[in-house]
Amino acid sequence: LFQGVRQAQWLTKTKLVEGLPPSVLGIVDNPAHQLEDHEEGVKRAISHARFWETTEVAPRREHYCPVLFEDLIHLCRLMSVKYPSLTKRMLARNYKISATWERESILLQVRGLNGILMNSLAPIPPVASKEEILATEEHVLETFHPISPTIDLQEVNVYKELNDTGFRDGYPYSHPHTLFFLESANIRPNRFRPEQLRAKMLMFAFGNALAKAKVLYGNDPKVLEQPIVVQSVGTDGQLFQFMVFQLNTTDLVSSDGIKNLVWIDSDQNLYEKAQCVPEVKKRVVTKPAGIYGFQPDTFKKFLALYLHGTV
Amino acid sequence: MAAPAGRRRLLWRGRCWFSQTESAAPLQPPDSLYPPIVASATAKSKAAKRRRLELFHQRVHGAASIEEKLRLYGQLQRPKYMVYPQTFALNADRWYQSFTKTVFVPGLPPRAASVAAKAPGVEAPEAARTPGGAAGVTPEAAKAPEAGTAAPGAAKTPGLAAGAVPYLDMGELRSLACDALLQESFYQHKKRPFLYREQDHTPGPFLTQLVSTLAACLCGRNPLLAASSLDLKPEVNYYWHHGEEVVVHGHRKGRVDPVRFQIDDKPHLQLRVPKQLPEIVPLESDLGDVPVISDKPSKLPLFKKQYENKVFIGSKVADPCCYGHTQFHLIPDKLKRERFVRANLEDQIEVLYRANGIASLFAWTAAQAMYQGFWNEADVTRPFVSQAVVTDGKYFAFFCYQLNTLALTVETIQNNPRKNICWGTKSKPLYDVVEDGSVKGFNDEVLLQLVRFLLNRPKEL
Repeated sequence: LFQGVRQAQWLTKTKLVEGLPPSVLGIVDNPAHQLEDHEEGVKRAISHARFWETTEVAPRREHYCPVLFEDLIHLCRLMSVKYPSLTKRMLARNYKISATWERESILLQVRGLNGILMNSLAPIPPVASKEEILATEEHVLETFHPISPTIDLQEVNVYKELNDTGFRDGYPYSHPHTLFFLESANIRPNRFRPEQLRAKMLMFAFGNALAKAKVLYGNDPKVLEQPIVVQSVGTDGQLFQFMVFQLNTTDLVSSDGIKNLVWIDSDQNLYEKAQCVPEVKKRVVTKPAGIYGFQPDTFKKFLALYLHGTV
Repeated sequence: MAAPAGRRRLLWRGRCWFSQTESAAPLQPPDSLYPPIVASATAKSKAAKRRRLELFHQRVHGAASIEEKLRLYGQLQRPKYMVYPQTFALNADRWYQSFTKTVFVPGLPPRAASVAAKAPGVEAPEAARTPGGAAGVTPEAAKAPEAGTAAPGAAKTPGLAAGAVPYLDMGELRSLACDALLQESFYQHKKRPFLYREQDHTPGPFLTQLVSTLAACLCGRNPLLAASSLDLKPEVNYYWHHGEEVVVHGHRKGRVDPVRFQIDDKPHLQLRVPKQLPEIVPLESDLGDVPVISDKPSKLPLFKKQYENKVFIGSKVADPCCYGHTQFHLIPDKLKRERFVRANLEDQIEVLYRANGIASLFAWTAAQAMYQGFWNEADVTRPFVSQAVVTDGKYFAFFCYQLNTLALTVETIQNNPRKNICWGTKSKPLYDVVEDGSVKGFNDEVLLQLVRFLLNRPKEL
């Protein structure tokens, strides 16, 4: 997407709020929700992904990005010792989503394989209060006239307007909880830039929420009584983007009225640099091998997003 | 060690060699003016070859770090047999047993685990879900486990919370397993599987889901799991020598060489832990015989190639989780049961599972032992134990391996009474069939065995 998040906001009729919502921040700050020695565990996970995972000296990004993600999810799953309902979550890889909607007489759709989805048995309770939702009525979506918002979207002929959550009816874990996006291409031009990654996260979170809303409440555009919340985490192995999206309305044709809300916490570094081989200048080791600039807060936010909805 | 060895060799060359060598050689008189008389290191003679071998052993013994030791161990590259754990070769398990000096004991070792499954009275409906509703897990309904019957409505009882209960709740675990199976095979919209890639389509993700959710569920009971590391599709490699042969062709023709083997394995999933699993039987126990194969390894068929000699457990030496707990192997499409049945080779199905278990576990345990500094000249002082589950998505076979010895080369195997031991079961189905959103014929025994494997831990924990 050209303009990144601003364009995605217009397309999905969303208002942006910087930072994570207070309910998630509450989980972050609450010490009862921490794992013991989780810093050690996270450092071990990073070292495993960046250094120890293959016989090569420095594993490449397409190896270490998924391995880091798997290790972090493994650490989060160990929290189910304290909260047994956390075992009621299922990871779905390679699943396909499709959602269609109309936006000021332009038909838009989101389709295809995206990231890894975590489903849960119970939905996440709405994050914003009723007043905040009503307050979005006055907010005006920013447009970037004269550039049309659909400038760099692919135009296809659609014969069936499809809305599919990716799972059949009767699936017990029917509420999409979190989407994970791993940018693991080796070459930098093949990866999304942070801004575009955030836009992609927003579009797919919106697509999932919309498909679920249409399943629950039918195809008529209306304001939702129970807003649907879908979270999203995107990473390229070092930089993390966190996002919480709340779908308040499926009435997307006009640009007025209640808008959807999204909270974005962008560009969180888990560590600054991971030195595989010691840096040596003139026969003197200037930088020994190891992890530099480790920030535990990023993992705390990751864990908070994982726990959100069950605590 | 150089001086007494040189002395002993000198004695042997000139005089009769008595059967008892004084192991505690008398100390060299401190005021000897002459250096010890030893065989040359560069001459073209058998003594010089032995001396070079001695020097190599000393270099490896005296290596500064484990990485250096591994590098020196696998430094010389020569053509070696590539041993594939998942193989279609007939009777491969007997061949692999002879290569690795393993005794195969059918059945699993009796375990003193205090795990009693809570079976009676709680018959969970097998994942009979009412469509369209987010029905909760209902282990309480006392109905037959067939699909489509009975109201699932009861809520969870408080007695099912994980906590400090000494028994396992089979209903809960069964529902987790069924959920994973149903998600992968029924509920998720997937395209049709690609040709010959059916194992990656459904059983692969099912196995990953099952193991990760079970590990998370059981980590309260087994603190070792809480410190474990889960690898997806890691690499496990091991290189060793066993036996002797004469080089057939090439510029080295006619020389006597050790037979070299290399296993390069890619298990589907593996769990590594920071503490070692306890030994099952003492180090010197003898539970059977190792089959002796009189043919060359290339008759199996095994083929030779020369490439890097790797020893790897799944992560490098610096990782704190350097001991293995459980591996999970997925049988590929080429080796499905239907293919064996069509080729009139039903008895080879079990052989496939056994060969996979023996070879993979030998490679893993031996690599773990090398990571601790042991090798064929410095044999292990404590047994290394690991477990494996070999499956094709429906049939599960369980294996336990205890590595008692690494000394398999011609010189070191002569006086070595120790044998490695592998326990294994036949493959049993986990379920009969999945249809219409429910699992029919779920076998609790298999799940219980899997859970027992995951709960295995050292005694002090």
